[in-house]
Amino acid sequence: MESFLPVLESAFAPGNLAWILFGVTLGYLVGALPGLGKGTATAVAIPLTFYLSPLAAIAFLVGIAKGSTAGSAVSAILLNTPGEPSSTPTAMAGYPLARAGKAQKALKMGLFASVIGDLFSTIVLILVAQELAEYALGIGPVELTGILAFSMVFIAGLSGRSMIKGLIAGLFGILVSCIGLEVETGSPRLTFGMIEVYDGLPLIPVAIGMLALSEMMIQIGQRQRLQDEADLLQGSGIREDRIVTLGDWRRSARAILRGCLIGTGVGILPGLGASVGSFLSYGAERKASGRGADFEETGAIEGVAAAESADNAVVPASFVPLFAIGIPGSVIAAILIGAFTIQGITPGPLLFLENRDLILGVYISMIAASLFLLLIGYFGQNVFARIVRVSPALVMPIVVFLCCLGAYLQGGGAFGIGVMVVFGIIGFFAKKYDFSFVTFLIGFVIGPSFELSLRQTLGLVTDVSELLDHPVALAFGALAVFGVWRLTVLQRRQHEAMVRDQP
Amino acid sequence: MPKSDLIAGIVLLVFGLAMLAVVIPTQTSEGGDATISPALLPQICSVGITGLAVLLTLQATGRLRRGVAAGVAVPAAEWWAMLAVVLAVGAAIALFVWVSPAVAAVLLIVGPMLYMGERRIWLVVGIPAALIVGAWFLFYRVLGTAIG
Repeated sequence: MESFLPVLESAFAPGNLAWILFGVTLGYLVGALPGLGKGTATAVAIPLTFYLSPLAAIAFLVGIAKGSTAGSAVSAILLNTPGEPSSTPTAMAGYPLARAGKAQKALKMGLFASVIGDLFSTIVLILVAQELAEYALGIGPVELTGILAFSMVFIAGLSGRSMIKGLIAGLFGILVSCIGLEVETGSPRLTFGMIEVYDGLPLIPVAIGMLALSEMMIQIGQRQRLQDEADLLQGSGIREDRIVTLGDWRRSARAILRGCLIGTGVGILPGLGASVGSFLSYGAERKASGRGADFEETGAIEGVAAAESADNAVVPASFVPLFAIGIPGSVIAAILIGAFTIQGITPGPLLFLENRDLILGVYISMIAASLFLLLIGYFGQNVFARIVRVSPALVMPIVVFLCCLGAYLQGGGAFGIGVMVVFGIIGFFAKKYDFSFVTFLIGFVIGPSFELSLRQTLGLVTDVSELLDHPVALAFGALAVFGVWRLTVLQRRQHEAMVRDQP
Repeated sequence: MPKSDLIAGIVLLVFGLAMLAVVIPTQTSEGGDATISPALLPQICSVGITGLAVLLTLQATGRLRRGVAAGVAVPAAEWWAMLAVVLAVGAAIALFVWVSPAVAAVLLIVGPMLYMGERRIWLVVGIPAALIVGAWFLFYRVLGTAIG
């Protein structure tokens, strides 16, 4: 208990709480803006953490991720413009409610469901991550190679519509991670004589380029559509239309519980992402209610609750593989690795041994962030409702400026901005040609660990028959092969159905 | 969209072959006494990309033959937007190196604002001013570091 007191002190220090509050507010604000999501918000905010303590830095970024995930419901409900794809079901069920004058009710239920989903998932993270990490400590390089290969295949297959494109994106990410001094010989590799890349390409400019700058290029191209959708909605004068009634809670309780379970499960599995969680939860509720298309025609408060609880449960749950094994299961987790690295900390099973106090502090900060989310969202609802109507011509240039600032600080000056632009262009084409930028980033992040474990494996296993001594590695290898086959078949069926449905 | 998949497949195929034939042999050392060549992982990735690009190209060709709609991956407005952002950032880097960080920041913010149709003078002046002062305050005063 005594050793726990300093952790509580540092987590509840006014400075730390202020950064969490700032993070949640900033995240909510960015998430509420149409077209901006949690990836953009977190990537752009990383430079702000350079000079913070590790706990404040991580807590601030987690606050941004949580705030922006919940905030994206605001533009989804009010403008029918989801801040990110995972809020699409919220828009489907919530926008008709807003048009019927029940915007405030939908926003409030979205917020409550978000906070419940987020809190539930955070508790699961606290309970599960350390147990998994203790198991992961016994994993050797051969097993790790199998796990990483399986994770890449899994992520590649599930984060886009095409397994082939997903695998290409992942391999490209690993290939880009090879740039720099080679780990065993120390000789330059794929550097083209540039000393700046001897330490490898800096993660933050790459992430900002792939996530934020590329998104700005697309949004600026679609500015007219965003502007057109910012039409004014009329509020209702009836009190019941502005609050969440007991009847609403009764209708939504089951949807929220299911959303929490689905979102947490989806978050723990690397690569599935928040969109899968929110769509699954929304679909399950739509089916269970028996209302069918009525959900999208008249709107459904339980639909908003289902989508938002699952969407927000994904974020903390996606930290389970990050904290326990060091594998980033989502784009937020990949960005968070950059923040950990800046602070000199390596995520993985040793985190619980070497940085136990930090992890405990992060857990407490995550719970505090959930509570701040409730306060900020509830009392700031009217303010955020106005902010969503700010012209994209004002928002986008600010984001571009912040992107450059971030890339400059973490990428070694103007060189970092150059790296960001190159990966902004790559990200632009990746998004437009449907190559998963999430898989690329995760490949880029796990590339060095994959190479190291692959080298160790090739050193340890000189004969194929020796693999029989590593059943875990064999199992994951087999799962990877099975995953490629199964996901390819599923995607082919989906594609054929889509072609058949084409007019 | 099979047409865009076809283009992507061909581009990636050329990229993969160029990596295998030119870039990796010239940009990686033999490794000397190293147990495993430094070129191993780049080669594995490039072979994978090349093979998958062939599959993507064949798949897209098949769908085009079956008459699936070609589609447009990047509309003209988005091409222009990408170009505008790249030009604005490129010009800002040049100004940053040869003129001053503040001028670069002004161009970086005002350029896209004007491109997106913002003409209200108080916003065109006010937003860059607020951002630059805010960035200066945050980095020079709060965080204690410098830019430029």
